[in-house]
Amino acid sequence: MILAIIENAFLSLIGSAIPASAVVMLAATGAMLGERVGVLNLGQEGLIGIGAVYSVIAVLSWGVESPWLAMLIGMIAAAVAGLIFAVCVVAFRASQVLVGLALALGGIGLSNQLGTNRNGTPIQTLFREVNPGGVLDDNDAVSAFFFHDPVVYIAYIGLPVVLWFVLFRTRHGMNMKAVGENPAAADAVGVSVTGWRIFYSVLGAALTGAGGAYMVLSFTPTWSPDIARGRGWVALAVVIFAGWRPGWAVAGALLYGSMISLDTTAQARGWGLPFMGASDLSFFLSMLPYVVTLVAILIPAGAVKLGRRVRSTAAPAALAIPYSREER
Amino acid sequence: MTPLASIASAVLSVTPWRLERRLEVDARRAALTRIGGAVGAMIVVGILLLLTGRNAFWIFWQALDAVFGRQRGIEGVALRAIPILMTALGVALSLRMKVWNIGSDGQFLMGALAAVGVGIHLDGPGWLVLILMAVAATLAGAAWILVPALARAYWDVNEIITTLLLNFVALQLVTWSALGFWRDKAAAVIQSTREVPFTLPGIPGANSVTIALLVPLVIAAILWWVFRSTTIGYEIDTIGGNPRAAGFAGIAVRRRILVVMLFTGAIAGLGGMLQLSAPGAQAMNAGFSAQFGLSGFIVAALAGAAFWGVIGGGLFIASMFYAGIVLQTKGLSVYIIFAIYGVILTGIALGEIAARYRVVRREAADESEATAGEEAAAPQGAGS
Repeated sequence: MILAIIENAFLSLIGSAIPASAVVMLAATGAMLGERVGVLNLGQEGLIGIGAVYSVIAVLSWGVESPWLAMLIGMIAAAVAGLIFAVCVVAFRASQVLVGLALALGGIGLSNQLGTNRNGTPIQTLFREVNPGGVLDDNDAVSAFFFHDPVVYIAYIGLPVVLWFVLFRTRHGMNMKAVGENPAAADAVGVSVTGWRIFYSVLGAALTGAGGAYMVLSFTPTWSPDIARGRGWVALAVVIFAGWRPGWAVAGALLYGSMISLDTTAQARGWGLPFMGASDLSFFLSMLPYVVTLVAILIPAGAVKLGRRVRSTAAPAALAIPYSREER
Repeated sequence: MTPLASIASAVLSVTPWRLERRLEVDARRAALTRIGGAVGAMIVVGILLLLTGRNAFWIFWQALDAVFGRQRGIEGVALRAIPILMTALGVALSLRMKVWNIGSDGQFLMGALAAVGVGIHLDGPGWLVLILMAVAATLAGAAWILVPALARAYWDVNEIITTLLLNFVALQLVTWSALGFWRDKAAAVIQSTREVPFTLPGIPGANSVTIALLVPLVIAAILWWVFRSTTIGYEIDTIGGNPRAAGFAGIAVRRRILVVMLFTGAIAGLGGMLQLSAPGAQAMNAGFSAQFGLSGFIVAALAGAAFWGVIGGGLFIASMFYAGIVLQTKGLSVYIIFAIYGVILTGIALGEIAARYRVVRREAADESEATAGEEAAAPQGAGS
């Protein structure tokens, strides 16, 4: 009996955590893509905003009727921002931290400005949930894992599998890792470090933009200022937690997502504790996702320090270090 | 050679001048190019404003007039300069060690929150309570960076994300205090904490600026002296230059990183108390920090962690910040300020790179060819 209640609670938590952090999953994959080739893009928060606001503009102002097309427009907008970032830090070798923060600030400012007149307008062009046609109904225990948008499955299953395969099973992935770990060696065997870094940071920015687009096209689904609410920073933390391995990002994103849905569930049901009223508990729970994310980052590093053997959780060796042929 | 430099060399190739990479970058020149980058960024912003149909010159004129045209404007800048300078000094101190403290906003908020806690619960002579508030704020700011500092110093966990995540936690705590445990039940309009009944003494002749304005100046002077004349300052600069070498030289690198990070948090936390002790700002609400930490970060980046530069840059950014507030009433949105910050920060980062190159006459360059041996390979490397 009690076991069933716990199982139910867990499944409903996961069920709402999955869509809640699909954004984080997409942004974390995008950030990981850039970081694997040595480009640290701290601007994820801004890219989510840009991807989201251009999808909103596409739907509300340009009359786009397909959510996929709206998402594509958001991705292109984020990719353009990512290209400006990449040119500054890869081609001109400007500080990745400074320009990344600039992108975070500028992206938040720009997207809020563009979204000003569209606050709260509901978006009708939504993704349709995947319905496993009559096999399941949504009261089944396992339904937590079904009845989501196709984007959710792409974010949690498609992208990690593809990225894992490319990184660890192909020559192309070997070259990617070489660009991130030892760019001079990659350069010596004829891999264009500049080209690869720009290409993958732009592709990563587009994925983060897709995360923003997913927020407004399915999750919220409306524009509101500061739409990312820290999810971009959490995504960067998830990459560290995952040790730059695509599969582990799923665990990190779900951890954050379940903390978010714990908060929303507690608010919706008016939960309280003997020593903490419902409203105080809700304030406490809204701090929890960030605290848990912070602890999660410390886990891999702590495990290494405490003598546990953890496989390859170190950052790419050349992360955030500009490459220049004449300085190696 | 970067594409920018390649393009520049291509343009210069028809003139008797050529572009050369510097072997050493002079700090003063780097400061000039950073300022040049910031100014260039503002020109870009002006052009963008013109393209979107706004009269940049009119906006610029309005901003200048709002800031320097009247005493209210100058005091407005001074009031914003205090929190911005305090967070900027904290960030600048950490930058001396190449540590990025992005969490100064959270440390600032926690400092103010601790000061509120002391101020509304302690009864006593005003000066004593104010001193205790300052102590509590300093400790709270340091405590707020303790976990990221320990993780960075002893577990090598990158501090950028950890310090930043705590900003969100601090903001939630402040919201909680304003709506929950320290809520002022009498105030109906804006939900905020109860008000601290004490303020710092004002500066003679000023309406709202208090002696808090002197604190960042004193701290800048102390830091400047520490880095100019003491071993500790020298050791911190050594760690910033090359931590491995510093370790071999016998410097306790990890402990220095921990202590310096705690100090950066303490300075930002004290900034929170200073902000709180100005007349009319004695209670906290969710909007207590108008992203002062981010402004402070930009100031420190602009100044390149030079403490007197922080004062100049801080006054500049505070003027912009105040102008932005005034311009909001004239139809420009607050979000534009963030977008402008982003462009300026990019300009600073690009300016930093520009300092590494110089333009020389060909004859003179040919003589220095032998010393600048790496330049010989430049034409081949042009496409990289």
